[in-house]
Amino acid sequence: MADTISILYQFGTNAGFLLLSALGLIVILGMMNIINLAHGEFMMLGAYAASAAVQRGAPLPLAVLLAAAVVGVFGVVLERLVVRHFYGRELGALVVTWGISLIMSQGALLAFGPFMPPIAIPGGAVSVGVYSFSVYWLFLMVLCVLLLAGLGLLYRSTEFGLQARAAMQNPAMARALGIRVDRIYMATFGIGSALAGMSGALLAPTTSIAPFMGQQFVAPAFITVVVGGGASVIGGAIGSSGLLALVQTPVAFLLGSFWGSVALLVAALVVIRILPGGVSSLGRRMLPGWAR
Amino acid sequence: MKAAAGTAPTFAAGLRRAFDGPHDIGRTRPGWVVMALVFLGFLAFPAFTSPFGATNVAYYLLNIPMAFGLSLLWGYGGVLSFGQVAFFAVAGYVYGIVAGNFPDAAWATWAGSAAGLAAAAALAAAFGYFMFYARVAAWIVPILTLVLALLLSTFLGLTAGAAWTVGQVALGGYNGMTSIPSLQIGGLVFQDYAFYYLVLGVVVVCFVGLRVWVNSHRGQVVMAIREDLLRTELLGYDVRLEQLRVFVLAAVLSGVSGLLYVQWGNYITPSVTSLQQAALPVIWVAVGGRNSLVAVAVATFLLNQLSYVLSSAGNQYALVIIGVLLVAVMLFAPEGIILRLARGWRGARRGQAGVP
Repeated sequence: MADTISILYQFGTNAGFLLLSALGLIVILGMMNIINLAHGEFMMLGAYAASAAVQRGAPLPLAVLLAAAVVGVFGVVLERLVVRHFYGRELGALVVTWGISLIMSQGALLAFGPFMPPIAIPGGAVSVGVYSFSVYWLFLMVLCVLLLAGLGLLYRSTEFGLQARAAMQNPAMARALGIRVDRIYMATFGIGSALAGMSGALLAPTTSIAPFMGQQFVAPAFITVVVGGGASVIGGAIGSSGLLALVQTPVAFLLGSFWGSVALLVAALVVIRILPGGVSSLGRRMLPGWAR
Repeated sequence: MKAAAGTAPTFAAGLRRAFDGPHDIGRTRPGWVVMALVFLGFLAFPAFTSPFGATNVAYYLLNIPMAFGLSLLWGYGGVLSFGQVAFFAVAGYVYGIVAGNFPDAAWATWAGSAAGLAAAAALAAAFGYFMFYARVAAWIVPILTLVLALLLSTFLGLTAGAAWTVGQVALGGYNGMTSIPSLQIGGLVFQDYAFYYLVLGVVVVCFVGLRVWVNSHRGQVVMAIREDLLRTELLGYDVRLEQLRVFVLAAVLSGVSGLLYVQWGNYITPSVTSLQQAALPVIWVAVGGRNSLVAVAVATFLLNQLSYVLSSAGNQYALVIIGVLLVAVMLFAPEGIILRLARGWRGARRGQAGVP
């Protein structure tokens, strides 16, 4: 019983980490077909904002919201200044956001020094049998579910969501129907950035906060996106983080975390060989409508 | 007699077309004269400098093959890779293992070079198979190659200690592999001036060979895939195989740079395949102009010099400057600075000559 819970907990942490790392990226890719290579640095910025807020006495939930707001605004500014020139040129967008990521990580080192004050993990631990589980990670797992539900609601049940999906399916027709596609893209990039900032802030207590911390998210986040594909935001996010955690958990348990990452890459290669559009292309055919 | 007179012009025309085809700048008479003068300048350069100066300039040159490879992939083939440094590192490490186990044998340095290139090609073929035969979307290749480079860097960092010793060569973890032998032939060890001429020779051979390649049938098929994948396929070409082939060729060219690098410094560390290093080939190619071998070579040479000067001055802003350069080029001169300058010069000349 306790063993089963422990394995489930490991699986949940891995899936939660993958999902949080990739969520902002998936939203932007799915809606705009743009990959933001500075995603890891957006998460770093979120962690920095949260750390600064906690230093000044803010409680962690407020700090997380603040981080989301800061990085969201930053994302919108960047979209207006740079990213919007690269719509329809996905390789150009990749290269230019890579340049931004170099500037951000080195810039953070120059502006704030090599370390930010860490944030203590709140919540303590609960014990089941011989195992103990971090309450904070259990909370993060629940939060992942809530976040996905919230995104689902946003894109399924609001005026904005309807317009965004129209813009995604056929930008020219959406424009002809009077939808301001430019605004939608700007908002989507902002939402994706805010999610990245929030994820960075949420994961900040579990890691050290440093200028180059974004790099640790690069491999898991991008592999999750590759496996998920761009066909469906929520289906892809659930399917790929679940599938990858299923592969990663036993390998990391037996051989260590590096080989867990290698297993992620191999799994991604195998998945794209079978499903070039990612698991979300499968979801398009098999999942019920709400998950698409 | 008649037959010989008949074939000679055809042969000359064929030769001319092979080097002078439409797919690179510098195919006018002045263009060739400038390139010949630059080459002569490089040939004569060691007469005016110390062995140290020649070794430094060799370092600026030795990355050019890797940049050529990325130019083929991205500029000519429309496939972007962020992980060229992974093949660079694989070739360098394999060379170090093979040559380092026979430190006094000249043949081992050549066997090591062959093994290094073969390892880079094998990794690229295996990795590329999954991507190109799956016909993945364009953004997936750069992402997965980047992840490959990062994981390779992490792996090489973990190889500290006796468990990671191959024969008598220790991989060395984060400290890297040291005392890697230089290339030797007979009694000649390629160091200082000899190494400089080795690098210069390799770069020139790569340039001429690739110049022929981009103007050959094979090269034109790759460009056709960039322009319209479906149409090329309908013309009867196996686009998956063609893309895989150019991916492997680019990896081998990265491997050439990797070999020259370890023979230059006699050491290699996992940082050669880090995120920062992975960005560099992309920057050289983007700044130069990915559709031109000449422009890429010039930009690689100049930017290597720039980053060497920046980093040896202990400048913390090096990465910021490089990042700003990349963003600025992509925004304001997406075809590349050198290529734009060259075309501007050609346009100005035509204007003077009164050609509309």
